[in-house]
Amino acid sequence: MSQIALAADFAIIVVVATVIGILVRQLGQPTIIAYIAAGVILGPVAFDVVTDEGLVYLMSELGLGFLLFLLGMKMRFSDIQEILRPVTNVAVGQTVLQTALAFLVALALGFGTIEIIVISLATVFGATPIIVKVLSDKDEITTLPGKIDVGVLIVQDIYLVVVLAMFSADSLDNAGEILQTLAVVFAMMAFIGIFSIASSKYLLPQLFRRVADNKDVFLIVAIAWAFLFIAAAESQFDGGIEIGAFLAGLSLAQLPYSKELEDRITPITDFFILVFFASIGLQIEGGAASLFAYWQEAIVASIVLMVGNFWIMFYLIDREGFGVEPTFLASVNMIQVSEFSLIVGALAIQQGYIGPDILGYLTLMALLTMTVSTYIVANNHAIYARVEPWFRRFESEDDRDAEIATYSDHAIAIGRDDITERLLPFLAERYDDVVLIDRRAGQVESDEDEPYDYIFGDFRHSEIRKEANLAEASFVLSSSVEREVNEALLEEVDDDAVVFVEAERIDDARALYDRGATYVVMSTHLTAEMLGEYLERYLEDQSSFDETINDDLERLRRRGHEPADRMVGDGGETDG
Amino acid sequence: MVEALIVDLGIIFVAAGVLLFVANQFRLPTVPFYLLAGLAVGWTIGLDELLVLAQWGIAFLVFVFGIRLDLGDVQSVLRDGEIAAITQLLVVAPIAFGAGYVLGEVFGFADPLRNAIYFSAAVTLSSTLVGAGMLETEIRDNLVHGRLASSIHFFDDLVAIALLLILSTEVMTADAVASKIGYGVVLIVAGLVIYRHGFPLLVRAADGSDELVLMGSVSILVAFLAAAEYFGISIVVGAFAAGIAIRNDGTQSLAVGNGIDSIRDFFVTIFFVTVGALVSIPTLETATIALVLVALVAAVNPIVLLLAFVYEGYDVRTAFFATTGLNQVSEFSLVIAIQALLMGTITEDMFNAIILGAAVTMLLTAVARRTEEDLYSAVISRFFTEQRTRKVDQYSRVADDLSDHVVIVGYGRQGRRLVETLEDLDRDYVVIENDPALYDRLEAECRNHVFGDAMSTYPWQKASLEDAALVVSTVDHRPVSDHLLELETDANVVLRSDDAEQAAKLVETGATYVTVPDILAGEQLVEIVDALLEDETDAETLASDHLDSLAELERYGFTTQREQY
Repeated sequence: MSQIALAADFAIIVVVATVIGILVRQLGQPTIIAYIAAGVILGPVAFDVVTDEGLVYLMSELGLGFLLFLLGMKMRFSDIQEILRPVTNVAVGQTVLQTALAFLVALALGFGTIEIIVISLATVFGATPIIVKVLSDKDEITTLPGKIDVGVLIVQDIYLVVVLAMFSADSLDNAGEILQTLAVVFAMMAFIGIFSIASSKYLLPQLFRRVADNKDVFLIVAIAWAFLFIAAAESQFDGGIEIGAFLAGLSLAQLPYSKELEDRITPITDFFILVFFASIGLQIEGGAASLFAYWQEAIVASIVLMVGNFWIMFYLIDREGFGVEPTFLASVNMIQVSEFSLIVGALAIQQGYIGPDILGYLTLMALLTMTVSTYIVANNHAIYARVEPWFRRFESEDDRDAEIATYSDHAIAIGRDDITERLLPFLAERYDDVVLIDRRAGQVESDEDEPYDYIFGDFRHSEIRKEANLAEASFVLSSSVEREVNEALLEEVDDDAVVFVEAERIDDARALYDRGATYVVMSTHLTAEMLGEYLERYLEDQSSFDETINDDLERLRRRGHEPADRMVGDGGETDG
Repeated sequence: MVEALIVDLGIIFVAAGVLLFVANQFRLPTVPFYLLAGLAVGWTIGLDELLVLAQWGIAFLVFVFGIRLDLGDVQSVLRDGEIAAITQLLVVAPIAFGAGYVLGEVFGFADPLRNAIYFSAAVTLSSTLVGAGMLETEIRDNLVHGRLASSIHFFDDLVAIALLLILSTEVMTADAVASKIGYGVVLIVAGLVIYRHGFPLLVRAADGSDELVLMGSVSILVAFLAAAEYFGISIVVGAFAAGIAIRNDGTQSLAVGNGIDSIRDFFVTIFFVTVGALVSIPTLETATIALVLVALVAAVNPIVLLLAFVYEGYDVRTAFFATTGLNQVSEFSLVIAIQALLMGTITEDMFNAIILGAAVTMLLTAVARRTEEDLYSAVISRFFTEQRTRKVDQYSRVADDLSDHVVIVGYGRQGRRLVETLEDLDRDYVVIENDPALYDRLEAECRNHVFGDAMSTYPWQKASLEDAALVVSTVDHRPVSDHLLELETDANVVLRSDDAEQAAKLVETGATYVTVPDILAGEQLVEIVDALLEDETDAETLASDHLDSLAELERYGFTTQREQY
């Protein structure tokens, strides 16, 4: 099987990126830094052992496609509904002002005309992989500043997709031509976009309801949907992969299954995007000379832009009337070059607008701002504590601290089955919010009038756990009998929370008690006990038996007349 | 070129997506539909580059198998060594080899010996992906035939990996084979060492980052694939050893397992569709070989297995139902075929025939599973009438003068609890059970027991149903429940169902009562939660009481395995 040797380049990239990843992890840095660095080290800049041809190029293209698919899928407007207006204002203002600032800086540093255009369009600030990763690690992603940042990043994505479309145009020589290309691209996007919105209303809900119960079919159908759009867009214009994937993701985003799908697509994206970020370093031809051609400019620009863009964000968010602290935190989180800067750079070099030296400049700037900002984001509260007295001057009377609705002190039930079913009304009486997590499609849509919140998804995925805000729940009932699921649950849950988990084996039950479960439900044992009792009653005192079972039978009959899709789907993962 | 490849991938996934949708509508296994998708779009896509991605599919397929592998399972399979699995190897494999050799001679293959081996592997090994999918509920309910089938699948998978190792030699000499085995063992030992010492290090170094553990695991896979390449052995063995190196316990395993599953699904789709696409227009030779393959898999294989199971002491029904889950070509046989194709040691006709045979037999499995009840009562049961009563008589112990007794179906946790109650009350009872693994316990603990299948008539005769007062089933399996309701008896019938809706239907059809474990348990649970939240008890007491009762259960020997009924 000698063909696998073709993949040798890819193999080297994965191993080196992982090793660097582990190293930078010790310094508290995110993996994206490691991936970019791996490319720089393996490419022409240092060892020159890997090229971005063949399989590596394919995988980097796939990585970009999956990344945009995923970004599109994350555009659930319902998530940021409460702050959609202010966030949109901020995002639009930020894009305009920051592009202007980048333009001025590039002009002052003396780049050529086309280069200035590319640089100023490419240096958007706010890198999703860094902000989301670091804030998630600190459990701040659902706080107000976190929501503002994520909201701005989401709206920003639309702008970036437009920039991508523009760079896929054949020439940037004159304004007329750019406009013409943009018009064509927009027409295409509008056409595909309308189709995607229409299908997300009429076609997709039915389609995915049918397959959502089968995990594997679910994933493949979703990927097929993405490729359908990719093929349609790619056949119309260059760069269609990205735009097609984004629109495909967008059409899936509003479905109740998108969280679950997100969790399935994320690892595939992680796998391929590693290759993409590494391939940026591979494209810096001319070696270290190209990378460091503009190193002084890169340092100057990084400092100016980090400071300048902080103030732009601070001004814009403050104008929307948020309090000083969330404004400061949301702004300080966003002071790094977006990963899109590199995506745009990579596209521009392919189209021949810029040379490897400019890509080197962009790469240096990304590495610099990302590394520095990671420490700043990680310590944002400590920094704010230092500068708070000075920033107090921006405080005003009518600051609104828009509270973001997240669950706290709530009850969570995982998997809807007959055990949880009995307990739900009981919990609804005691807790303000009862969140029900189930991965069977039928469960999410039925019974809109019930007082529970539904989350469709598999509890084994961290996204789902985060959405239910497991860490702040005060009561958790898991009807999953899988030990690792329950162990992950016990790990994340608050120490004071009451946790009921289910187990099938005695050993599992012991282990779960050791890890802090309040009570381990073992349904076979409880049932066996009760069955013995029933039998005894039947044999000793028939009338008492009849009385006992009458209640049960009544309950069963009621269940028998409920809609059939209540119990669809066998073998749901969270279902015992 | 890359753009063309992306278009190809697009075609593959769209075709697979559409066909999987169809498969899902009709609840059919997915693998044959991948192959069909390949057959449908094979002419439009360029295959050379896709083969590389397809090999990643193979690597991930085996990698995940290695990760899931529980070393304890291997030990127990090797120790118990289902006679049936070995019989199958000793009887079916030579027959298939002979048939393959004759076909090779007749059609003038360059290397009939080697092609016969491929043919024989395709006939003998059965598919975990398809079989386990079809038998999912049976395996979950821990029915005997589900357990039997899955242990044979597991055995077959291990055989397949050994076979892949041996078949990666170009020339079959004892020296060459021995050196391959040596390298294979070295890799697996390396995998075990990493499992012990390396992987925990990786997890610690990753410091809580799931992404890094995931990429680290992929790096281990990459390293083992490179080592396999270097030694010149099949990458499958490298991927298997890499899988062994990954720990699937600890809290991190959840996220990592999910991640690898997603990546696997992506590449495995490419693999199966590409395999389908490799099939060229069938010739007469292809059709003949495929036909013989299907005949052997669907007829000879089940007959041999059926006889072997019966010989081992399983009742005929269980034996038959286990075999219907086993009559298909394994996905590992596809891997063997494609490895041979890449090495150039398989003829085109043989390759095409194996792929087509795989698709056909996998679909046949689904059909067989749907008609097995009818097939059993119409055909199989007639052949074994005498045998069935003799076996039941031999292994059962029933007093002659039973009347007004209770018949208990199934001797699991609930069954034992019921026996305990009846012993306490000093009432007569008979237990009906068909699992040979429980036979010793039946013999030791039950006054009266019938060793046979509750779905057959004779065991009921033996249990003197006509004089019984009550029948309690602890088995949650719809066919069993339906059968019990059709019994001609005046006794009350108490059934079990884990599904409330089905329970309601069973009550309507005439069951006196249906126990739904979750409802009973749920009721109990409400009381416990209420007591806890009302501060009538505290968490410490609750936990320690429960732990005490668990310890007591353990003294009665309830820990050995996961028992559902």
